Amino acid sequence: MDKKTVTTISYLSRLKIDDGKEEKITKDLKNIINFVDQLNDVDTSNIEPLTNPLEKTAKSRTDEVTAKNLKKELLKIAPSSNEDYFLVPRVVE
Amino acid sequence: MSWETVIGLEIHAQLSTKSKLFSGGSTKFGAEPNTHVDLIDMGLPGVLPVANKEAFYKAIRFGLATGANINQTSSFDRKNYFYPDLPKGYQITQMTKPIVEKGSIKITVDNSEKIINITRAHLEEDAGKSIHDLFEGETGVDLNRAGTPLLEIVSEPEISNAKEAVAYFKAIRQLVTFLDICDGNMAQGSMRCDVNVSIKKSDDKELGTRAELKNINSFKFIEKAINYEIERQIKVIESGESVVQETRLYDSEKNETRSMRSKEEANDYRYFPCPDLLPVVISNKELQEIKNNLPELPEEKEHRYVKEINLEESEAKIISSSKTMANMFEEASTKTDDAKLVAKWLVGDVSALLNKDNIDIDESNLTSENFGILIERISDSTISGKIAKSVLEEVWKSGSNVDKIIETKGLIQIQDESVLEEIAKKVVESNPSQVTAYKGGKDKLFGFFVGQVMKETQGKANPQTVNDILKNILD
Amino acid sequence: MTIKYKTIKDIKIMLSQKEISNAEVIQEVYKLIKENNHLNAFVTLNEDNSIKKAEALDNKPSNLPLAGIPIAQKDLFCTKGLRTTCGSKILDNFVPPYSATVIKNLENAGCISVGKTNMDEFAMGSSNETSNFGNVQNPWGENLVPGGSSGGSAAAVAAGIVPAASGTDTGGSIRQPASLCGITGLKPTYGRISRWGMIAFASSLDQAGPMARTAEDCALLLNEMCSHDEKDTTSLNEDIPNFEENLNSPLKGKKIGIVKDIDLSSLDDDVVKIYEDSLKEFVSLGANLVDISLPNLSLSVPTYYVVAPAECSSNLSRFDGVKFGHRSNNPKNLEELYVQTRSEGFGDEVKRRILIGSYVLSAGYYDAYYKKAQQVRRLIKNDFDSAFSDIDVIMTPTTRGTAFEIGSKGSDPIQMYLEDLFTISANLAGLPAMSIPNGNLDNKPTGIQIIGNFLDESSILNFGHMFQKSTNWHMYTPEGAKQ
Repeated sequence: MDKKTVTTISYLSRLKIDDGKEEKITKDLKNIINFVDQLNDVDTSNIEPLTNPLEKTAKSRTDEVTAKNLKKELLKIAPSSNEDYFLVPRVVE
Repeated sequence: MSWETVIGLEIHAQLSTKSKLFSGGSTKFGAEPNTHVDLIDMGLPGVLPVANKEAFYKAIRFGLATGANINQTSSFDRKNYFYPDLPKGYQITQMTKPIVEKGSIKITVDNSEKIINITRAHLEEDAGKSIHDLFEGETGVDLNRAGTPLLEIVSEPEISNAKEAVAYFKAIRQLVTFLDICDGNMAQGSMRCDVNVSIKKSDDKELGTRAELKNINSFKFIEKAINYEIERQIKVIESGESVVQETRLYDSEKNETRSMRSKEEANDYRYFPCPDLLPVVISNKELQEIKNNLPELPEEKEHRYVKEINLEESEAKIISSSKTMANMFEEASTKTDDAKLVAKWLVGDVSALLNKDNIDIDESNLTSENFGILIERISDSTISGKIAKSVLEEVWKSGSNVDKIIETKGLIQIQDESVLEEIAKKVVESNPSQVTAYKGGKDKLFGFFVGQVMKETQGKANPQTVNDILKNILD
Repeated sequence: MTIKYKTIKDIKIMLSQKEISNAEVIQEVYKLIKENNHLNAFVTLNEDNSIKKAEALDNKPSNLPLAGIPIAQKDLFCTKGLRTTCGSKILDNFVPPYSATVIKNLENAGCISVGKTNMDEFAMGSSNETSNFGNVQNPWGENLVPGGSSGGSAAAVAAGIVPAASGTDTGGSIRQPASLCGITGLKPTYGRISRWGMIAFASSLDQAGPMARTAEDCALLLNEMCSHDEKDTTSLNEDIPNFEENLNSPLKGKKIGIVKDIDLSSLDDDVVKIYEDSLKEFVSLGANLVDISLPNLSLSVPTYYVVAPAECSSNLSRFDGVKFGHRSNNPKNLEELYVQTRSEGFGDEVKRRILIGSYVLSAGYYDAYYKKAQQVRRLIKNDFDSAFSDIDVIMTPTTRGTAFEIGSKGSDPIQMYLEDLFTISANLAGLPAMSIPNGNLDNKPTGIQIIGNFLDESSILNFGHMFQKSTNWHMYTPEGAKQ
């Protein structure tokens, strides 16, 4: 964990680290990673990862349209929209 | 030394479910923007996905039809990236345990067959649409499409040229439409494809660096884009440089591919198991039921047409090549005792018109219903074959109802013998020299008299009746 | 007649005997909220609606189980038409178009949601210092933290403003503030309460639960909060017992697992003594102490600090300034919109966890951190599974000490993370666990944690209730012991 890594993960996370805080954040992250590194001492060969404490399978839906037209409500809570669309600064491809 | 091309396709087929993969939002195409957006599709804080079973069933049909392994327990992962039409900031997809693995499909290019292996086919959710050119300085986001189920079908890199790529895409499209799991409508984006292209020297063991051509949605463009890209890569390598692994966009207007700068920056999708969704299990009973109800596939149809209906192999192949045409054939065959007549029309006149316009049967104005009426009117002698041809052309142009065309244009075949006899007599009387010549042994002139009668009746005379009458008068 | 420091049970009796009207109950709640404004326990109030509801109940009495009971809702639950911030600037203007299932369940049972309580931003914190709306003060002392992340809920109950509050617990966020504020808080089995409408922090760990003055009140609340919800595929489709039924069952012969792997030497002697006294109390009630081993327990904190940040880094991606919530002013382009919105909208702790999460999931580190942590998580769960084959509940102190001073653990995140040492393992394994008050040190409450087997909230509540029948720590208030 160094400044370069922090730059990469900040980019992936779409976060900007304030100039003054860069060093502190890098140090904090380094400490946290060092702290969790103790996991590497554990022998986990042949152990299946547990991604959810419920070791069950999911129920699923039948294929039915249940949604109402929420256009007005949803566009209203958007930070920027016109009568039809959510708006963001023009994306250039 | 020559260059060898290695191509792999990733086809995205929208599954034709009524509702979305994880919400009760409608998947209907063409609605007013943002009217088919559920709380879940919007990615509001606190919402949770629940998987649509029908999407699994449809994916399994594809797996069974391609002889693939079906993973009865399959799970979902998150693919993380930011884009305005990706509401949650991640796409739910199947990375580690796809529903379908290791299938294959047969393609035919220049009369030779080749098997293309399918690595996997997995379920994932579609993104919304970003509209870049509608508003000054702004991009509009329409989330109607967000969450529509997609089956991503990934081929092995076993495709050797642009023609094979097109044949493969066509074969997949034919299959998904026959399976009734995707409408195959490329203009509406129901099927899209990304193409991975690389080149290598013939004796190189390792694959070359590949470029990914994004989101191509017509057969014509696939071929052009691939051929352009092959040429480009050869030029790059021959000039001593190396191909960069990147995503490239095909510009159909300029017929070129170009690097997508926006995607160039290192992305790392940070896939991990979606903690909101437990694995979905398909029971043996469900699997058996899907097997039992698998629709007839193109190859099976082709064999049946030859065996049971005595069609020529070439006819059977053309008709079974598209679901729409096969449906037309089967429906129209119920309107006549002569299925071979139906085949003749489809393979003959209809196919000729398709070729002329260079379109697909789905894009034409001809509906299955209207074609059925046309066949019925030929069979019951309401119109002659010749008239039918002009009716078909009219339908082709306007899409009008066959009966309506026959009525408004007064095209009903003249069956009344006394009317035809009178016309025939008039024709014979007004052409004495031809009569003399015919009687003198010029048999071929019989056709001339038939032609004249048809001309007088504007083609509406029943040709058999005219033959009989003229024979009576002249012989 | 006052409702201050009263339990749900008390208020139910007061209402049924017409000692107080529904409207008076709610009016007093708002009076108490204003008197305790300095606690900063509430972010948004629901005053007009609540008074109207109470008046309606006075006009037309209801026999719903919790009719007219005022409840404070953690500001992490979506409430239709009522601002929901999750303690974050990024949602400071967010009014949800729908309500969480658990909110609906409580309101359908007659509860009146009087307001939304302050919390650590996105539930990431153990002191309530990370809230965008300022820290919450612990009613027990001016400069003390209430714990976190459900600090506002805990403070509101501890100050006697409301008899009940909802909380959420991802690594101890119900139990730790309950302990630091001297109240009773229960995190149910993962999946007992629907997560629909709960703003996700770490989806595989988050669970909502009740916070109240007594175990008995927690049982009353839990009865209404649980449901099988088709909108949440991780919502359990299991029988929901009547949690009141087992409260008084005798503890004679029941077994309490005592984790011999826990090193109590790092705790204050006084804290250890209080804990041991509580165990003696349970023994005097007939229970037996059994040594158990949870060999991987010490790995809970590092495991948690991989799994939770990983899930949160993805869960918080939807806060991007496009569809709802805060957006930065005049971004020049899309990239700036994302980066500025998120950098302005999230506080330091949230940013830290998102960054850690992105790191442990990124190519090259996934196996070493994320996958590894999920494997260790299974080892921890296996430890619990084998321990529970022979015991009814497990007990530990809830926290390492009593409420600490605001700002005292600010600079080193790991010191703060270790606050959750005893609570985190129940989240990793999905087990139910509760904290009940068990003592008092320098006028600051302490708590003991009771962990139950999968789906066995009834046993926890039984132990808690029997303890509270024979002790009065739960009757202590910042103003002294109350009857």
